[in-house]
Amino acid sequence: MKPQEHVAKRVAVVAAGIVSPLGFGLADTLQSLRQARDCVTPVTTFPVDKTRCKTAAQIDDERLLNQGNRNRQDRRLHRASYMVMSALAEVLQQAPEHNPEIVVVGTTSGGMSFGENFYRSLGNGGACSAALIANYPPQKQIVDAMERFGFNVPAQVIANACASGTNAIGHAFNGIRAGRYQRILAGGYDALSELVFVGFDSLQAATPEKCRPFDSHRSGMVLGEGAALLALEELESARARGAEIIGEIIGYGISTDNHHLTQPNPDGNGPRRAMEQALRQAQIAPQQVGYINAHGTATILNDTAEAKAIIELFGDVPVSSTKSMMGHSLGAAGAIEAVFTLLALRNNFLPPNINFRESELPLDVVANAARDAQFDCAVSNSFGFGGTNATIVLRKFVR
Amino acid sequence: MTLSIAATSWVTPLGNSIDDVWQCLVAGEIAPLERLANPQNGAQYLVHRVPPDATKHLPPHPRLRRASAISRFAAAAGLAALADTKTAPALDRIALVFAISNGGVIYTRRFYSDIVTSGAQSASPLLFPETVFNAPASHLAAILGIGGASYTLVGDGAVGIFALKLAEDLMALDEIDACLIVAAEEIDPLVCEAYRQWRFLRNPSRPEARHGMVMSEGAGAVLVNRANGTIEIQKIIPGQNFFRRSELAARLDCVVSRLKEGKAFCIGSANGTFIDRAERAAVSEMSLYSPKSALGDGIGASVLWQLIAAEQTLKTGRAPRPLQPKQDSQALVLACGLNQQTGGLSLRRSAAIKPSQGVRAQYCFSGSTDASDHKHDC
Repeated sequence: MKPQEHVAKRVAVVAAGIVSPLGFGLADTLQSLRQARDCVTPVTTFPVDKTRCKTAAQIDDERLLNQGNRNRQDRRLHRASYMVMSALAEVLQQAPEHNPEIVVVGTTSGGMSFGENFYRSLGNGGACSAALIANYPPQKQIVDAMERFGFNVPAQVIANACASGTNAIGHAFNGIRAGRYQRILAGGYDALSELVFVGFDSLQAATPEKCRPFDSHRSGMVLGEGAALLALEELESARARGAEIIGEIIGYGISTDNHHLTQPNPDGNGPRRAMEQALRQAQIAPQQVGYINAHGTATILNDTAEAKAIIELFGDVPVSSTKSMMGHSLGAAGAIEAVFTLLALRNNFLPPNINFRESELPLDVVANAARDAQFDCAVSNSFGFGGTNATIVLRKFVR
Repeated sequence: MTLSIAATSWVTPLGNSIDDVWQCLVAGEIAPLERLANPQNGAQYLVHRVPPDATKHLPPHPRLRRASAISRFAAAAGLAALADTKTAPALDRIALVFAISNGGVIYTRRFYSDIVTSGAQSASPLLFPETVFNAPASHLAAILGIGGASYTLVGDGAVGIFALKLAEDLMALDEIDACLIVAAEEIDPLVCEAYRQWRFLRNPSRPEARHGMVMSEGAGAVLVNRANGTIEIQKIIPGQNFFRRSELAARLDCVVSRLKEGKAFCIGSANGTFIDRAERAAVSEMSLYSPKSALGDGIGASVLWQLIAAEQTLKTGRAPRPLQPKQDSQALVLACGLNQQTGGLSLRRSAAIKPSQGVRAQYCFSGSTDASDHKHDC
């Protein structure tokens, strides 16, 4: 028996909301991308005196926690909940009538710092607040945001490590494309936490220096944080109600690289399969892709494997890793970078890959400054621990 | 489109064999209660543990060398499910969907404990990767050789429903022929303490009490494909969230009303907490049984245990008390977690297949493409 026959539906992005170290909202973010802002600063949230790395890209708490009208219950919530609420507020401002049937989001650690506080309070012999426990789980932050804005739909929370955000958008895209859903809210979120920061530090995957994706002297990643949400809708439905369409998602690929729990296969086969699948679904040739927002963590192994896959599949195409500006926001990265890519498509520019000097990799890196460019299709990659690889293809929407 | 359950497997505190554990449940046996102490504060918890020999049969694999209990449970369940299927699907046409709630908490506690007690410079790079939610799924994919889609879903005790829904969505696509859904959980004093402080756990000085949850561990696995099945499931419904406990009965009632068609029994998620009363109210006159009364609450693993219990009830015609299933009954699986998520699904033996035909159960999921299925206004 075959899956139900269906005509593939087109999938529109009708709204997007974002908060990251690069800014609150689309306008702030666009300006920061054009200006090639470096948002990496000394970590202030937890002690880093015993770690090799001391920096991360962080969201300003004063601005984050003082948005809108906070009620008593809101004050108990995790920072990640505020990030999701900030992104959702922007989405609802653009598309108040979107009414998703389901939410699909990615995260790796939810309210992890509340779990850390819980552990520490036990060690200190004290009782801890039930709010720490209740607000820690990874699904809680999106549920908080829904409650805050008065809607209530099921939330599928994908935790595929650093590919989570792209997986969430890709899975949502497939659901609409197959005609199973009309409207889905998709995205990702993650807030900086000590456990994760020390984890990457212990693996020496993080760098105490500048984050230099694809540079010959790259020495590792810098962590970041943030949230982004995209309102996806079946294109004809969006057109029929006169919705503004920001762009289209036209392809998604997912693969699993069984080489190692934390290291990509150097042959780049996993990423390549994800990109090939996404292009196949998008029904476009590699030559039609005008920009790749790379996973580009700036680790030796990731960038080598990703570059190999890109070169083999696409040849000469402009590539940048926006993690150079705002670090790696893990489960949020795919969603945030999807928004960056949509902004690039709409505004005819290529976001920069900063801190770049030279490379042994024969890539066309968008080095250090944004570049004006006219292009119709772009690819956004996310790869993660566990060998998970995800790629989406986005297209400029032309009426 | 119809999907069938081609194979099932579980790792539970009562053992690994589907038939043996089912006989124990039908006979009213309860998994042995053990006491677990928390070295941090001396608190004690009542728990149901998986027997130590449950994963000893696993073949040697580099991925299992350092893996935590949760990954071993998942590997045992996943391998057994694939071994149980008559025709193994091609590995490049199979997707893996993993459900999890607390995840690899043993290594997470150990890793963070090193940071707190010895300083960040002492944190082990061997432990950190195992703390990531998708580590068990990654190990399982590597052991089985699955190189395509793999998703790990996190949530509360209802997460299994969300995983099954995601699997149903995947099966609507052309790219895969089968989907292996695995759910697993492991016990650690840190998680027990969290639930204790949340006031959900059974008082360890009153083990005979019915009130209070007993934490449990293990895994479940279900392989679904599109073969012609013998029992159909009409729907998988991820439910609305309950923002307050007072909303729970209404949320569950909504799920039941969207699933129930005629005579039905329910495999529920009652665990000795506020869930019990809300669930009882939602199912009304239906006969109701919760495997958590015998196996404990396996949190992320629970829904798959419930699904297998529903399958066994329909397949064997026998059930733990107080269920009195008719062979033409519909089976509902109702899921409610402790942290706001709800959902359910329904199974039914196909009218075209008589029980006496004795084939391996092929329970079908009818993947609905009707947009009205996603309305939540009841």
